[in-house]
Amino acid sequence: MSEAAPNVTKPTTRPTGTPLLSVTGLTVRFAGVTALSDVSLEVLPGELFAVIGPNGAGKTSLFNVLSRVYQPAAGSVSYDGRDLLKLKTHQVASAGIARTFQNLGKFPFTTVLDYLLLGRHTRMKSGILRGGLFVGPTAREERENRAYCMRLLELVGLARHAQFLLGGLPFGLQKRADVARALALEPKLLLLDEPVAGMNLEETEDMAAIILDIKEQLGITQILVEHDMAMVMGISDHVLVLDFGRVIAQGRPAEVQANPNVIKAYLGEEFGGPSLTTTPASVNTLDEQ
Amino acid sequence: MAFLIQLCFEGIALGCIYALIALGFAIIFKASEVINFAQGEFLLVGAYIVSAGTYDWGLGFFPALLLGVAATVIIGILFERFALRRMIGRPIFAILMITIGLDTLLRTGVIIKWGPNVRAAATPFTLGGGFNVGDVHAGNGVHFGASELWTIAVTIVVCILLFFFFRFTKYGLAMRATAIDQEAALATSINIRFVYALAWGIAGAIATIGGVFLAIQSVGFDTTLGQTALLAFPAIILGGLDSVVGAVVGGILIGLTQDLTGGYESHFSNILGAGFHDIAPYILMIIILFIRPYGLFGTRKVERV
Amino acid sequence: MSASETVVSASPIAAPPRLLRAASRRFAWALGILLLALFFLIASDQWLSLANFTMLAAIAALSLNVLSGYTGQVSLGIAFFMAIGAYTAVLLGGDPKASFFISGKSVPGLGLGLSFLIWLPASGIVAAIAGAVIGPTALRLKGFYLGIVSLALIFIGQHIFVNTVRLTGGPGGRSFPSPAFGEFNFSRQNDILGVAVTSNQEFFLLILLILVLAAIFVGNVMRTRAGRAFQAVRDNETSAAIIGVNLFKAKMGAFIFSSFIAGVAGALFASYTSYIQPNYWGLLLSIQYVAAIIVGGVASVWGSILGAVFVFALPQIFDLLSPPQTTGSPGLFGIAVGDLNAVVYGLLIIVFLLFEPGGVIGLIRRIQLLSLRLNHRLRKGGELTKASPDLEPDAQFEVESSTLSASKGTEMFDE
Repeated sequence: MSEAAPNVTKPTTRPTGTPLLSVTGLTVRFAGVTALSDVSLEVLPGELFAVIGPNGAGKTSLFNVLSRVYQPAAGSVSYDGRDLLKLKTHQVASAGIARTFQNLGKFPFTTVLDYLLLGRHTRMKSGILRGGLFVGPTAREERENRAYCMRLLELVGLARHAQFLLGGLPFGLQKRADVARALALEPKLLLLDEPVAGMNLEETEDMAAIILDIKEQLGITQILVEHDMAMVMGISDHVLVLDFGRVIAQGRPAEVQANPNVIKAYLGEEFGGPSLTTTPASVNTLDEQ
Repeated sequence: MAFLIQLCFEGIALGCIYALIALGFAIIFKASEVINFAQGEFLLVGAYIVSAGTYDWGLGFFPALLLGVAATVIIGILFERFALRRMIGRPIFAILMITIGLDTLLRTGVIIKWGPNVRAAATPFTLGGGFNVGDVHAGNGVHFGASELWTIAVTIVVCILLFFFFRFTKYGLAMRATAIDQEAALATSINIRFVYALAWGIAGAIATIGGVFLAIQSVGFDTTLGQTALLAFPAIILGGLDSVVGAVVGGILIGLTQDLTGGYESHFSNILGAGFHDIAPYILMIIILFIRPYGLFGTRKVERV
Repeated sequence: MSASETVVSASPIAAPPRLLRAASRRFAWALGILLLALFFLIASDQWLSLANFTMLAAIAALSLNVLSGYTGQVSLGIAFFMAIGAYTAVLLGGDPKASFFISGKSVPGLGLGLSFLIWLPASGIVAAIAGAVIGPTALRLKGFYLGIVSLALIFIGQHIFVNTVRLTGGPGGRSFPSPAFGEFNFSRQNDILGVAVTSNQEFFLLILLILVLAAIFVGNVMRTRAGRAFQAVRDNETSAAIIGVNLFKAKMGAFIFSSFIAGVAGALFASYTSYIQPNYWGLLLSIQYVAAIIVGGVASVWGSILGAVFVFALPQIFDLLSPPQTTGSPGLFGIAVGDLNAVVYGLLIIVFLLFEPGGVIGLIRRIQLLSLRLNHRLRKGGELTKASPDLEPDAQFEVESSTLSASKGTEMFDE
């Protein structure tokens, strides 16, 4: 690389332990674009790990590799001691990785409850035959899982909306339903793709509270991709900054915030000052996926 | 050998007609992402109106041709304006279904109006008999029929005209821009509505021309012309839904397949069954789709999450 | 059935919701059974025949809904799978002594003369196997490409059927076996306990039974795990896979399931009409079923039944109204019946897709919604009570519940 080596801050007080997810040298290319370039990271169990960066930095591409929708050009991913890249897309859920979606409106005519039940797909067993006959075990499975999903909905404050169609819900509630659906999987690892995008302050606070609850009460490891710096810095344990597909910094929130490379990436050369508590002023161009 | 060349020649001529239909289809698809199941039916309507115009309503051939073109163009534009506009944003299946509805309407409309009887095809002038190479009667010569030659010639002319239109005219450029990116095109003040109408108009016109020539090649024709027109779909798929080049290549391939199998199938009719040449195009299409699921020249859709 | 039927509910629900309250539902069912029984006893042969054809169509419409309505797989191939079922039935149950007169020669027909208890299930199973063979194409091909391959299936199928003369009787067709239990043969009038039961009545009970079983089965599937997976595949495949749905299993399952039902429907249909020519199983038949599910209501059990009523009972009614003739002679409004039907199908498809994509079911739900809302407002003393904006679902999304017009997402992001 001809440019100056990126200033990757080594975290000083991060706990040690076997990482749940370990990404090494990941490179993703498509349509003439290099979305990710030699990205490496480790996520510890129970951690709230944030990935931030300007638009087009490659954040969602990272998730898409983890979801096995993209095939990386190079690199390896180890999850829970297994080679994640060997899995097919639908096997990722069975392995315990749940993901929320950045773009909603995918299932507008599904009710909230049915959507959560869809999230339980890998935890349930009945197929066409047993479902059609609706014999004892199937009926019981349905009942139990519905009850479980209802409890989940109460947890996130959506119990009243169980029978509402997703498409009819306000945007903020759709996002919440999406998180609940991901939780319904009983995941080990939760990937949150811009969970507060498009939300106002109040909704953002609600969602941040939910994410913290997930960490503290459920102990689920989370990777959070986000633009909203304030929220990210407020709740994350560890932050990684991507820019043009490269890791330019990682560490505790305060360290990353102070990192001059990060500031340059978000605001450009002119601004050199340390503290960064406002949302970056990057123009919302068409998001690179 | 002469037989082979004869079949190839006729196959190419037939293929040109499929190519014309497929071209119209590709133009509509590229411009507006609409899958027009009724494209083949435009051919039918066009052929009937031209024939009716020439023989029943006492118009000359060229006025009748204009009438036929006008009719299909108007049907296309009206359908686009009043039916398809409302379907924007709906899933492709629904749009496909609505064009199937149009297809059924057009086909039965023609049947109702003109009945099942065979009609004479309208020609601009006595086309003459074409010319021979070699001794046709002895079986080792090739007859290059006039109607086939005209078909090929007109198709080439249409392709050239379209090429120049898309390359060098303002509206052609507008259409290409819309095909690449509708939103961006809107942003540059291209009149999308007009582009759509233009696409349907061109498709209708080309289909009518194709219809006229198909009728001429069949000498007498009836509503089963629609059945033949359906074969344009394997051509479209083969070539790739959104490829103009693919449309032409696909059309020619299908025409060749049909005539070549038709010519030789009598040797195999015990195994393959009578009338195999009618389904050979579909089989070819399936084989090609196995290797290239988006057709020979189609572009692969990239799924975004 | 689809959970989008209920509107506003006050308390958490642990069981699938229903259209009507329990009491009125029971009443409706009782009334329905009573009417059916009455119909069975007193309806004329013509009306029974109409009912039988409509119910057969409903079974096939269910099959198409499973594949296209619920799972979103574009397919015009239903006629093919029905044919497979029918020809399996005649292969296993047909008259061993059948022979056809083709091109001046007598050709022996195939038929093993087995019992209906063998050929009916077999027709479904063999069709399901055919579905399993075709299914993998849906994994590689999407949308229109899949649709045209299904079209190819119809034509190739017809070609094969016409040419396997010993099985199908060639272009002239052949006769199909009737269900029979020993001496008791459905094709003629029989005595049960001294009461004369006509052939149509016998078929009525049989077809009704199969329809009810199929409807219940499909409804059950769609409100359990497999059904949710189907609908997720329809709405957004990639997201469904990320959520954990195995796309291969889901699509294969849909093809196998739907083909099974189509095979049974085809076999029953052939058995009832008792004589069919291979060119019957063509594109027009498939389009009729597509029209049926669009008109009745896509992804809905009741929609399949309603759609069959609208699309298949209509022509019969035209038949009754106009002098029964062939094409070319004045039918209704001077238009021959067959052509009039086709025009109607085309129009129905267009009109419903434009104005009521939820089909008749969608229309009914819209009306229900209105009356429920009215009720709600009246009970609250006419005042618009809105505790929070979240409580009232957005109007436009309530109605078009389970239609194909579900997914907007993928189109916007495909290249």
